[in-house]
Amino acid sequence: VFPPLRIIARRLAVAALLALPSACDRGAARVPPGSAALDDFGDTVAVLPAPPARIVSLSPSTTELLFAIGAGDRVVGRSTYDSWPPAALARTDLGPGLRPNVEAVLGVRPDLVIVYASEDNRDAVRRLRAAGVNTVAYRLDRIADFERVTLSLGAITGDSIAARRTVDTVRATLDRVRAATSGLRHPTVFWRLWESPLLSVGGGSFLNDLLEIAGARNVYAELPQPSPAVTLEDLVGRDPDLLLTGPTTRERVLREPRWQSLRAVREGRLLVFDTAIVNGPSARVGESAVRLARLIHPGVLP
Amino acid sequence: VPPTRWVLLAAALVLAAIGAVMLGTLHLAPGEVVQAAFGSGTPTHVAVVRSLRLPRVLLAMLVGAGLGAAGAALQGATRNGLAEPYLLGVSGGAAVGAVIAVALRAAAPLVPLSGFAGALAAVALTLVVARAAGGRGDPRVVLMAGVVVGAFANAAIMVALANVDANAVRGALWWMMGSVADASWPQVRMLGVYVAVGIAVLLLLGRAIDLLALGEDAAAGMGVDVGRVSVYVYVAAALLTAGTVAAAGLVGFIGLLVPHLVRAAGARTHRSIIGASALAGAALVVVADLVARVARPPAELPLGAITAIIGVPFFLVRLRRLA
Repeated sequence: VFPPLRIIARRLAVAALLALPSACDRGAARVPPGSAALDDFGDTVAVLPAPPARIVSLSPSTTELLFAIGAGDRVVGRSTYDSWPPAALARTDLGPGLRPNVEAVLGVRPDLVIVYASEDNRDAVRRLRAAGVNTVAYRLDRIADFERVTLSLGAITGDSIAARRTVDTVRATLDRVRAATSGLRHPTVFWRLWESPLLSVGGGSFLNDLLEIAGARNVYAELPQPSPAVTLEDLVGRDPDLLLTGPTTRERVLREPRWQSLRAVREGRLLVFDTAIVNGPSARVGESAVRLARLIHPGVLP
Repeated sequence: VPPTRWVLLAAALVLAAIGAVMLGTLHLAPGEVVQAAFGSGTPTHVAVVRSLRLPRVLLAMLVGAGLGAAGAALQGATRNGLAEPYLLGVSGGAAVGAVIAVALRAAAPLVPLSGFAGALAAVALTLVVARAAGGRGDPRVVLMAGVVVGAFANAAIMVALANVDANAVRGALWWMMGSVADASWPQVRMLGVYVAVGIAVLLLLGRAIDLLALGEDAAAGMGVDVGRVSVYVYVAAALLTAGTVAAAGLVGFIGLLVPHLVRAAGARTHRSIIGASALAGAALVVVADLVARVARPPAELPLGAITAIIGVPFFLVRLRRLA
């Protein structure tokens, strides 16, 4: 006979209590006092005495960062969307990086797992830690996040000096771009990310940061989302000076009658910038700022 | 239907259309609309009226007319007030087609075409399943077959979407929620042909549907080939629905709601129910799209959600009357 619900509930509660201490112990015992910072889930980042030897990175920008600070040869697993550097493609593909298959991740025997700090990943982080694997979650969305995450990654992987050098190089490049464009007129820009629905770069995106550094003003900077949906009519009302699109869509936009309602399109001011090769606010973000500034202000930064 | 009601209906449609062309992020005066439509005025006004709003409003009209007429004919032929175009498995099939195109990373313009193919395949499957079950003209069997095909389509969608890029998923979901935001003149011409042919066929079948509505035995006694007429109605309705789905995604509730409103307003013969449903559906979708466009700038609301939000209260009132 099936036991009544009350008894099942009690058994489950007891089982949960029994399981709890072991999970907590493992996470807590690994934090040496004084060397901890918080990750973007607000959890303590455990810095182990021996640097990790087998790293899984489940987001494109952290994978790029790991290679940039010299930890690339220790990366054993990556997400499907990781595309830079080319050597990263040789690592095991562990899926799209959100709600990862925990068994597949454990299958490559990692001693450090880095995930994107999305609510979708909370459960996986909990289970990986319960399995005794040091796991860290970063929300690397804006250029302002870049220095913090890079230095934290450097501390965990034992590559602090290289991480500091990466941060300094990127900062110097961004400062150089900012200085070169600050005196110029900043054109208003619409940056088109997706066709249907029409998605723009919004104020919450590192691409918005890049636009400002490269000497332009995003017409949708006031929207907080990274890629808000907008309408063509609203865009007509904002009358941008320039359009930025991907490499395959420029000709189509120029031909389509609906897009003729924009002054920038009628006057042919469409610039091509491939977001696929930018890969988030990572180690090449300085180079991206240089390319964007040269595109918007020809002749600057020769 | 008395002639005054037809005039009122047509006037409502024309007013809705004029309002929809005038209103938006840029408010245009009637004079400016006329000027722009004839190609004078500022280049921005001309482009907004001619290539943004006119095709959009016309596409919304055609979508509403097609769904309204298809719903009216299906409810008559199946003698079931819950029959609606999407119940034939059309929506599920269209969604599967669209999602497969997205999962294969096809270019954006191919997504609706693939959706159209999926819709036709689903209707064919529904009719084959119904026939295999032995109920060629039996409306209950056809509706159940449609539900089963729809459930299978849902499962296929979830499998396909599980591992697709987030932006592509967003695109597919947006398309499924219904929108005429990307309307263009070629789309208007294409759907115009579908809707004109589909509604003409349904109007021709109107007398036979009247007899079907009396019951199958009665209709057969009066010389109607029940099975054949039903299949004609299903195929014409499916073509109308698949055409609207390809142009605008899934715009819910119109096919279900509008025929009820039209019958409540006094239409009795199926020719008039189908014709009036086409006009009323057109007006309703134009208004719903106007709301979708201006409710929350700079973003847009999904058209399918607006039609449902408008439709549910109407339907509840109608249900109370019926019960």
